Amino acid sequence: MKVINKWGKGFFLYLFLVLIFPFLPIDEYYRSVAIIIGFHSIVTIGLCLLMGQAGQISLGQAAFFGLGAYTSAVVTAKYGLSPMIGLLIAMIIPAVFAYVLGRAIAGLQGYYLAMATLAFGFIVQIGITEWESVTGGANGMINIPQIAFFGESELRMYYLVWALVTCVLVFSLSLLHSRVGRAFRAIHKSEVAATSMGINVRSFKLSAFIISGIFAGLAGGLYAHFMGILDPQPFGLHESIKFLTMVVIGGMTSIWGALIGAVVINAISEILTVLREYIPFLHGDVDTIVFGGILVLIVMFMPEGLVPKSAAFLQSMKMKKKAARGEEDDQSMERKATT
Amino acid sequence: MTMLLDIRGLSRDFGGVKAVSEVDFHMNTGEILALIGPNGAGKSTVLNMISGVIPPSSGEISFENQPMLQVAGHAYASLGITRTFQNLQTFDDMTVVENVMVGMHSKGKSSLFACGIKLPTARKEEKEMREQALKWLDLVGLPDISSRLAGSLPYGKLRLMEIARAMVSGPKLLLLDEPAAGLNHTETAEMSRLFKEIRKSGTAILLVEHDMDMIMQVADRIVVLDQGKKIAEGTPQEIQENKSVIAAYLGEEEEELVKG
Repeated sequence: MKVINKWGKGFFLYLFLVLIFPFLPIDEYYRSVAIIIGFHSIVTIGLCLLMGQAGQISLGQAAFFGLGAYTSAVVTAKYGLSPMIGLLIAMIIPAVFAYVLGRAIAGLQGYYLAMATLAFGFIVQIGITEWESVTGGANGMINIPQIAFFGESELRMYYLVWALVTCVLVFSLSLLHSRVGRAFRAIHKSEVAATSMGINVRSFKLSAFIISGIFAGLAGGLYAHFMGILDPQPFGLHESIKFLTMVVIGGMTSIWGALIGAVVINAISEILTVLREYIPFLHGDVDTIVFGGILVLIVMFMPEGLVPKSAAFLQSMKMKKKAARGEEDDQSMERKATT
Repeated sequence: MTMLLDIRGLSRDFGGVKAVSEVDFHMNTGEILALIGPNGAGKSTVLNMISGVIPPSSGEISFENQPMLQVAGHAYASLGITRTFQNLQTFDDMTVVENVMVGMHSKGKSSLFACGIKLPTARKEEKEMREQALKWLDLVGLPDISSRLAGSLPYGKLRLMEIARAMVSGPKLLLLDEPAAGLNHTETAEMSRLFKEIRKSGTAILLVEHDMDMIMQVADRIVVLDQGKKIAEGTPQEIQENKSVIAAYLGEEEEELVKG
């Protein structure tokens, strides 16, 4: 596959790590952490397309995640459909919501767009909480069936989730270096220039919303079946901001960054959990404070994010090495485009 | 020679100020028409209206006998009107070839889904776009830098890249907003040569420019605006001898005097 050639070593390293992770000699608990990271990655990759590429901020991404989760949970637990069908519907319903939302707020930019998506997030969370007859309200739902993926086990779930993460990753990387990806990036930089190149700005913004909604819905559906129980609490602003933080930390312009961001934030979360046993004052909502602090630091000192920053660093190291060897090299001016 | 662009009674107010008033002119296929005038004459406003960026307050614009005022901004490129910008609008975090490939957007059809899973049709289209973009980078004199980030390019090269981006879709009318601004003599001469090449390929050029040497060298006809009104129209020779044009330029101290 061309994608694999293009991203070469990095992609193989990624595949290798994903494949061997469950067999590392660590607590089985971390396998379920890895599954959760998978859900988050699917959401953040979609959010990266929307925010990092097309330049449209969303403070309501957790709502799409929740819509996906509840859709799949309701159709499987209440109406007895198979979880695979549930996942499919879990992508369609958020897509429809994303379409309607996208149409409604097509003309908004910057703060206004942020406010509108924030409001959408609240509406969805309140809607889920209040629609008790279907969603179980604040008490939530139980007995959501597991996904039968060649049988039911956590190991199989791990591979299913990460296979889907990989699909989403490859899809998004391919998209980035295509007509549509370039249109997204063009809109981000200059809507006037994009329009004069023949790009229908509204319709591409809308498709960015829809694709990010579909990804978040898929992740939500997987989440519901993995957890087996649901309540509306994790689908609010707090979670939306967490997704945003992941994307910003990894580097908004980088799809890989979205994945790395999800890993980093979850890792910090786990470290805090461990530390809590030793340091008494770490109780309460310390996560939020730490994530907020990280977000501020990143924006202040490394606004481009981890992945683009490290890529630039590696590049400059290479250049230095070459310079040390006294090679004149035009290639050194070449830099890889956003990945 | 057939008429390509026809403009009648074109006006534009900005909050009561008449930036452009009652301007008429036309363009033929494959000609270079220069739009000149002192600063604030309304040249860029006219160009922005022709490219669909701002709507006129009144008047008509028709392109190949089709009225353009109801046409959506993003449809101009596929109808055959493309442009460059006075203050460059390049995509700095894309490579040079990607920038030019954005110019091919209107020629492509691949959907988001087709691009994401790399359908054979999408791959083929991508390959054609890249080839065409590289061809145009070559034509404007920017070979060998296609994989550099646009943001790392000097100003003069970005101007050329913008022209490649506007030309890659094979437009019938190219609108250039001060393409020689900020260029040195060598670069300007190179630019003039390029315009003649473009005309040879059949694309008409509407040129808004201050550099009189360049205009006299490349323009087939000239339209002169002053304070939003058309004050003269004719061949470079006729314009050089036109008294009202000379007067308009003499009124502007910082403008170069057009020698009669």
